[in-house]
Amino acid sequence: MIGDDVRIVVVAVDRDTVKLGIEAPRTIPVHRSEVYDEIQRTNRAAAGEPLTPSAPEGPKVADLGGKGRRPPPKP
Amino acid sequence: MTETTVEAADREITVALPRFGTCTYRESEVLTFPWGLPGFATQRRFIALNLGGQEKFVWLQSLDDLSVALPTADPWQIFEDYAPHLPPYASSSLDLKNPEDFATLCVVVVTPGAAEMTMNLLAPIVVNLRTKTGRQITLETGGYSVRTPIPRKAPAPAAGA
Repeated sequence: MIGDDVRIVVVAVDRDTVKLGIEAPRTIPVHRSEVYDEIQRTNRAAAGEPLTPSAPEGPKVADLGGKGRRPPPKP
Repeated sequence: MTETTVEAADREITVALPRFGTCTYRESEVLTFPWGLPGFATQRRFIALNLGGQEKFVWLQSLDDLSVALPTADPWQIFEDYAPHLPPYASSSLDLKNPEDFATLCVVVVTPGAAEMTMNLLAPIVVNLRTKTGRQITLETGGYSVRTPIPRKAPAPAAGA
């Protein structure tokens, strides 16, 4: 157990392979570290992009609106 | 004494950004990322910026480290049928109830030489506009890629020149 509600279980043992399962509440994100690492790399690559040509008006705070889960309505 | 309490709570702040120049924002426009962002775990405070002539792209500019800024865009501008299914931890941690309360942004990567642009559809950044709280959410379904190629016709954020 990790804390009160995360459980590590051995799902299978097969010669030199052990399969582990993680049981956690739906409110806790559980992901393979490879996926997380890839997202980290992507964010760092994005932040390292070449300098943007300076805009004449300068940066303005963006209006994010409320786009939610749905795509904007089609015209 | 004049009353300045209200203004003090939402004062205007001007910063010199290394990438974009001088910028003025209000305290109420700051977005908080309590869990940081993958790769930038210690960055908590961001503002969303538009640059003149590039309104389709939103830069998430860190206020904790002014050298950090991530280009993002509304995924539906490019991928009309994008249908992210947010896992339960996203809704509960961000207190998402009404679709109009939140915005979805996806990180854009430009490959060196601007040969290709990709968008991270696997891990959208979801912002609750009511609480000004955001989190990058890894989707568990849908089979989306971290680096989904953006078709050429889409406008380039930085490297279009």
